[in-house]
Amino acid sequence: MTAAQPSSQNACATAPSVAEVEASCRLPVLFLAFSGAAWLLTGVVLALLASVQLYNPTFMEGCAWVTYGRLRPAAINALTYGFALQSAFALALWLIARLGRVELSAPLGLTIAAKFWNIAVTVGVFGILAGDATGFDLLEFPLYAALPLFASYACIAAWALVTLHRRTERELYVSLWFVLAALLWFPWILSTAQGLLLVWQVPGVVQAIVAGWFGNNLLQIVLIGFALAVLFYFVPKTVNRPLANPGLARAGFWLLLLIGGWCELAQLAPVPAWIPAVSGAANALVIVPVVALLVSLWQTAEGKIGETCKENATFRFMLGAWILLLGVTLRTAIFGGHFTQFTFFDTARTDIVVLGVFGLAALGALHHIVPRLTTGEDELPSEGLADLSFWAALLGVIAVGIGFTFAGVKQAAVGASTNDKFLEFAVTGTANHLKLVTVGYGALAVSALAFLANFAFAARRCCLNCCGGAR
Amino acid sequence: MRYGPIIGAGALFSLACSWAALVMAPQLQLGDLSPAPIPNTPDFHPAARPGLAAQGAEVYRSLGCYQCHTRAVRQDQLLFGARLNGIGPKAINLEAAGSGKTNLVNLKLLIALAKARPDLGLAKVELPPTLAADTNAVAAFAQFTTHLTLLKHADHKAGIVRTNSATVNELAGKLPAEILAKVGPEEAERVVKLLSDSGAKAELVIYNLGPDIARGWGARRSVARDYLNDAPVLLGSVRVGPDLASIGTRAPEKFAAPWKFATSNTATELEHHLLVHLYNPRLLAPASTCPSASYLFDKVKPEVRYAGEPLVVAKESPPVFPKHNAHALVAYLLTQRNDVSLPEAPVPSVAKSATAKPAAPADTNAPSKP
Repeated sequence: MTAAQPSSQNACATAPSVAEVEASCRLPVLFLAFSGAAWLLTGVVLALLASVQLYNPTFMEGCAWVTYGRLRPAAINALTYGFALQSAFALALWLIARLGRVELSAPLGLTIAAKFWNIAVTVGVFGILAGDATGFDLLEFPLYAALPLFASYACIAAWALVTLHRRTERELYVSLWFVLAALLWFPWILSTAQGLLLVWQVPGVVQAIVAGWFGNNLLQIVLIGFALAVLFYFVPKTVNRPLANPGLARAGFWLLLLIGGWCELAQLAPVPAWIPAVSGAANALVIVPVVALLVSLWQTAEGKIGETCKENATFRFMLGAWILLLGVTLRTAIFGGHFTQFTFFDTARTDIVVLGVFGLAALGALHHIVPRLTTGEDELPSEGLADLSFWAALLGVIAVGIGFTFAGVKQAAVGASTNDKFLEFAVTGTANHLKLVTVGYGALAVSALAFLANFAFAARRCCLNCCGGAR
Repeated sequence: MRYGPIIGAGALFSLACSWAALVMAPQLQLGDLSPAPIPNTPDFHPAARPGLAAQGAEVYRSLGCYQCHTRAVRQDQLLFGARLNGIGPKAINLEAAGSGKTNLVNLKLLIALAKARPDLGLAKVELPPTLAADTNAVAAFAQFTTHLTLLKHADHKAGIVRTNSATVNELAGKLPAEILAKVGPEEAERVVKLLSDSGAKAELVIYNLGPDIARGWGARRSVARDYLNDAPVLLGSVRVGPDLASIGTRAPEKFAAPWKFATSNTATELEHHLLVHLYNPRLLAPASTCPSASYLFDKVKPEVRYAGEPLVVAKESPPVFPKHNAHALVAYLLTQRNDVSLPEAPVPSVAKSATAKPAAPADTNAPSKP
């Protein structure tokens, strides 16, 4: 772009240095990253305890607070709001500051807003455990936690947008398109869902439709959008090449926004038939933008994948997220219809998107960002712990995904036949698949622990650097 | 792309499209749905829940029962059939007048039945000598013979070979009879018209088909109207346990662990069964993975003026005392029914004579297409 040349040069003259940008990010991004990882650990431990109850019902029996019906939503909401969205904010702030070459606006304000976000998530999780869940998937936080959540989000998003507006690098890179779209998308879907489900309740099954629409948009646009933003930043960066085929990325971006919001209502039962039909078509159509975006990334890294994988921990995470995004899109499009309705198959999608596609991308990004912001190096202190974190996360997600998917297919086969005894085949018959899920959550907990330990080492080294002389 | 506002506006436009289609449109379509009157009663479906059941809905939500149980019956197919309820006033008594016996035969109906069921034979009906003087009967028999010849001609032309082991005469002898079962609407309507034209009483019947209905989990598919009084609507998304849409009217043998009513007081027995299930599901179904809700029960008699009836859970263990929430949850479960016929989701009518089990043919007896 020749027209952009003069303004770019002007901007460069006033642009802050990388060190200044990173200094402004340090407090809010590290706080969000640390809290996100802590919630990841909490969430997968809750999910692990819940999954044990699926085949061992006497486990933690006799206490309403830890019954499956409360533990499971508590775990999923802790993972979505505590880990996924919170890490997404950390990544969004970092990407805006780095790609826009601008110091973060109001780092202290952002940190305080993030603190309130954490308080709201904590209150929400305890609210669910106490029995105040709203009953809508991915929106189970009671109103007294949901409203502060929205307020603190508004502060974070507003300061993020102000920072974006003040950027010195005017050209918006692909990652920032996704960040911007997701930042605007989330408040709309959250306010629609909270308003129509918790405040002015719409009648009958419209509630289920609105809840399903919210859940899909949260996963398909907001979380996958943030994951793609991370992929588009780190893949070119780690292979040290410019993005190949930006036109394909642009087409993929707009098509994903147009189609993505229509997916995943294909399994709602007692609703007008056009809704599952339209949504099923969208499930298939969304393959096009996802593949376009993934091809663009693939072309960027082509030929250097094996080499970069060996050298760079972050790239390994990105590759994992890349594969899982392709996998989850295809499996939903092919099998996500009537056959797998009312089974664990759809549960697996939530877990794969939150922990796999987004989770791997976010953990990989944090493996790069956290050392930059603490020790100023490019790698976390312990390479072994980074490897452990990667392999445990990847295997954990695959175990959870495969366990739930196969349990779902088995349930679906029983549901489609009249002869099979329900209790024998669909309930006790899935125990072995669900044990795999428990193992998967265990591995994810190990991954979160390894990352937190690495984080702690980096923070300690940072403190020693700053205050070491005084000792 | 350099301008953030363009990306923002594009994103909001995309979101507005999906919002209009999947939030606004369903609300416009379903927003003014209202309870439907139940035919021949002053009641409406879905009925407003009584106070205790309304509290039970809150317990159901609070304990997260919807995490493992759906409340939606699925249906794969809606098929039709024709049922013969009476042979009609045009039947002729073949017995001698004054003998006290009746052997009513509707000759036109026999022809109609033979047309409807090409797989069945038609036994010959003779004009008894006692009726030789009855001019009406003679005319009817003459017509019958003509029709029979025409029918045989038509059969020959269509290549239909009728068996003689089963005849339409037997079919018309035991009423109500399922003449056609599980066929398309046109076929069933044609046969009902054919039978009605012969003076017989026939009705169109429907068949709700699908694994859920075959399992006894409901009489018809669940539709949007069933959830009008729910707030929040807890449809559930995974069937870790059985569907609960019709648990309040489910037959004991259709439970995941089948049981039997011991007395005629079925309402109390079902309530007791559900209370025991809440206390410990494995007392009723040893393989169940449903967590026990024993925290809804007091082990010792509570120190209140009215502690309620003790619940005997097992012969060897002492009785427990269900708390208010346990009774509320069971009251809520007992309101779950989907046996009410709705215009958009009809329930099959039951054959009038309760004792005569409809002689439903094995699977389908739709006539083979020529």
